[in-house]
Parts: sequence; C-alpha cells; structure tokens
Amino acid sequence: MLHRRIYQFLIIYAIGLGLLLALKYGLNLSDYVIPSPDEIVRTGRSYGGPYLLAVLNTLAVAILGHILAIGLATLVAVIGRLTAWIGSFIRTAAYNIQAYPIVAVAPIIFILLGDGLQSRLLIAAMICYFPLLLSFIGVFSEPIREIEHFYESTGRMTWRLQIKIRAFENIQKLTTVIVGSATMAMVGTIVAEFIAATAGIGYSIRIALYQSDLAKILVALFWIGVGTSFYLVSLEWVGNALQKRLRSL
Amino acid sequence: MKLGLKSICLAGAIFLMACAQNKEAEEVDYRLKWLFNVSTVGDLYAENRGYFMRHGLKVNVKPGGPERDALKELELGHAQFGVASADQVLRAAAKGAPILVLAQLFQVNPLHWIYRPDQISFSSGDDLKGKRIGVTFGGNDEAILRALLARYGIAENQVTLFSVRYDYMPFYEKRVDFWPLYLNAQAVIIGEKLEKAGEPFAFLSPDQLGVRFVANSVVTTREMVEKRPETVKRFLAALLEGWRDALDPRHEEQAIQVLLEADRETPEAVVRRQLPVTRELMLPPAGIAFGTIDTAAWKQTEAILRSQKLIPGPVDVESLLFTFK
Repeated sequence: MLHRRIYQFLIIYAIGLGLLLALKYGLNLSDYVIPSPDEIVRTGRSYGGPYLLAVLNTLAVAILGHILAIGLATLVAVIGRLTAWIGSFIRTAAYNIQAYPIVAVAPIIFILLGDGLQSRLLIAAMICYFPLLLSFIGVFSEPIREIEHFYESTGRMTWRLQIKIRAFENIQKLTTVIVGSATMAMVGTIVAEFIAATAGIGYSIRIALYQSDLAKILVALFWIGVGTSFYLVSLEWVGNALQKRLRSL
Repeated sequence: MKLGLKSICLAGAIFLMACAQNKEAEEVDYRLKWLFNVSTVGDLYAENRGYFMRHGLKVNVKPGGPERDALKELELGHAQFGVASADQVLRAAAKGAPILVLAQLFQVNPLHWIYRPDQISFSSGDDLKGKRIGVTFGGNDEAILRALLARYGIAENQVTLFSVRYDYMPFYEKRVDFWPLYLNAQAVIIGEKLEKAGEPFAFLSPDQLGVRFVANSVVTTREMVEKRPETVKRFLAALLEGWRDALDPRHEEQAIQVLLEADRETPEAVVRRQLPVTRELMLPPAGIAFGTIDTAAWKQTEAILRSQKLIPGPVDVESLLFTFK
C-alpha cells in the first residue's frame, strides 16, 4: 500500500515538475521565474536533509494536532448526541466557526500563545477538527434501530454501549473521515508555520518565498508529499487493522 | 424627433472622440512592490493627476504584496514596469532575468531598527554586541543586519537574534532591544504609541552606520528598452514628475488626498506624519535629480548579497542600471 501511494505521488510530482519545465523552456523564462533542472538538483542536495527534518517536525505536530482533534470531536459528538437541540446547536456553532478563515484567526492565536509548539498544534487541530466533528455528530446521533431496539427493550442499554454500537456500525465512515482529515491537519500545520512559527517546513517555505527561490519550494513540496503519503498509509493501515479486529469479535 | 437625432449625433461624436483619445494613449501595467501606502504616493499621484495621460500613456498602477513579485510579472509579460528592491533585482539578475533598473526611488533605505535610548546604550555599531535584535529570517532586514554585524566584526554568537513577525508585543514587553520597521510607515504608528506611553525611542539607521542597502527601484525588461524605448522614456518622465510633485511640500494636501483615496485603511493623521518622513528618505541631495541611481550603493548591496551567499555569483551591477543618453 505504501509503495503504491509513494509512486502515485511521484508520478503527480513528476507531471507537475514536467509542466513547469515545459513552461520555462516554452516561454524562454529565466531561472528566476522557474529554476532549471540543474538548480533543482543542486538545491535538493543542499536542502534535502534540512527540509526532510523540517517536514518530520511538521508531521509530528500535525499528528499530535490530529489526535487532539479526533479526541475532542469524539467527546463533543458524544455530548451532542444527548438531545437533538444540543446536536443541532453544536452543528450550527461548528459551521459558523469553520467559516472563519484560519489566516484571520491565526494571528490572534500567535499573539496569545506565542509562536511555539502550542500555536502550531492548536491551529492544526482547528483545521481538521470541524470536518471530524460534523461527521462524528452525524454518526453518534443516528440510532441503529434494529440493534439498539433489542438492548433498549431488555433494559440493558447504556450510553457506552450505544456509542460502541454506532461506532461499530459506521467504522468504515469514521475511518474515511479520519484519513481525509489527516491531510487537513498537515495543511493546517504548514499554514500555521507559514504565518508565524519559527520551525517546520511552513517556516522554511516562508523564507524561500522571501528569497523568491522556487527551487527550495519544489524540494519542500517533494518532502511534504512523501511525508503526507506515509501518514495517510499509516492511518489506513490502522483503520483496516481495527476493522478486521472488530469483525472477528 | 430632430432633437433626438441631434442628441444621437452628439453622443456619437463624443463616443468617437473618446475612442480616438483612448487609441492615442498607450496602455501599460505597472506592478508596485507593496500595497498602496505612503511609499507609493508618487506612483498614485502620477496616475491620479494625469501625468501619465499627458505623456500619452494609460498606466494601470497595481498594488503589490507579499505574494506578488513584479520581476516575475515583467518576465511573464503581465506588467511592463514594476517596483522591486535591490536584493530582488540582484537575485533575479543572478539567475538570468532580463531586467533593467530605470530609477531609484528611496535614496535611503527606510528599514531601520527602533530602540529605547533610556534602556539601551547605543552610539556606534560596536554597541550591538550582547543585544537582542529582532530580525525577519529570510527578509532583507536579515541581510542588512548581518552586513552590519560583519562591518563591526561582531560574531553571530555575540548577539541574540529574535525572529520577528507582525506582532510588536516582544518589543513592547522589552523582551527585544532592537526591532526592525520601516521608518516612513510603521515607525510613525509605533512611535505614537510609545510617545503616549511616555517612553523615549530612537532609530538605528544602517545607512548612517555605513551599510547602504538599496531599497525600491523602478524596473522594466531589456526588451521594453530595446523595442519600445519611447514608451519607457515617456513612462519614466511622467513617473518622476509625479513623484517630484507628490513630495513637494507645496502639493502636500493634494498628495495626501490622492493617497487617502487609494489607501482607506490608514488614518489621515498617520498619513500626514508619514509623508514628511518619506520625503526625507526619498529626496536626493540638492543638485541631484529625483530617481538618480546610486551606483556605489548598488555595488555595496551586491557585495553584501554575495558575501552572504544570497546570490550564487557576482552580478555586473552597472549593466543593470539604465539611463537614457
């Protein structure tokens, strides 16, 4: 699964790079607008190592933010399922908060929390939290009548059991949402670093942009793609393993 | 009925005249380096007060910004003229971009560092030793600061560099001794806040400490100069006239009104304080024409970028600086 994701990414990356180079030579553009293959390779050699470390740094924050968001979304969705009114209120609030662009909210977060790990983590979690929350609310508020009815009529239904039933019956949906939001966590972390952090690949991209150095950005994009592919594959693997285990119970 | 026919004929004549006038005016795009603010007052003035039109040009003055790069737009043909800082120009030239500098807008780089003279003893570059200095990593203030440190023989481990963003809190909270800002823009606003708080402040000028790093200049492509020299000549003449008049104290009121029309975010009181500072940074010494390119400063800027390995190799500065003979 991993090698398939990686080579799929490499194909997309190569197509993108090929188009850029076609544009460069087609329009006779200088290396300032689009770097030459030679410059890209040279930059890759010089910055490949540091940028890989920066991507790992970003990935670590994105994973932490993602876990935080999953935990929080589960908690709020479990509370939100109690009554229709609370569920609807949380949904409306989530839609409203999600409507605020993170670039407008991020500066406030950085002023309050500084430009360290906390801000990056919070922004990463915020970006992937709302899609998770909306899906989780949907899953945990929807009764599985044919199963729940039996436990309700025999008086054995507890809130824990209800959540387990609903999660089990929707495990495929939950896994898909979690994997989908992982990319958002990565994007959120990069955006946060770009805006105000002093570490991570977003910060490196910001410096490269200051220096109008597209070669550095291409190297950064390469490692971001590889890093994100690894994370998505890991999540899919965990999701599949979990589903298998649940089915065997 | 007759009146209706007359009206139609009159309207037609007006339309044809307007068409003829538009046909005469050659249209070009002019991409600025930053958003409309006091550093673009002359560009806006030249457009708004008809200087370009009088030279037979219809110039679309477009604001710049962090995501805009006038040099790339020139090469891609999205603009014919632009404003870029010397470090941008030299980086682009080092990578083969076919550009030429037509005029230098700022004679003194507006980038300064603010500090509190009652807390910081500072009289020469040597006094930077042991200080906490704000710097935008990757920005041209980093290049200027590193040039200052090199000039005064200060190693990086003898100062503490503090990563700067849009938030001035670290300076307000006195966690940083020196904070970079633009003298004609943010310095006016920050200075006012410090004045209100009763805190004295002063500015470190890299220029006065011997580091002359060129800021904004007007640029175009070599192709424009070769193929449309008359257009370039007319554009430059109109632009420099506009700048001279916008900075002339006799036209201050008009210049402020033009700027306020374009930049609705900055309060009038702030603009009124920013304009005289801009004038001081932009006007060359008496006897030297506005827009004159300071070749020595350009050479120093190139040497700074080269010494810090921000450009891959030497750039022939003089071949970049263009003047009409």
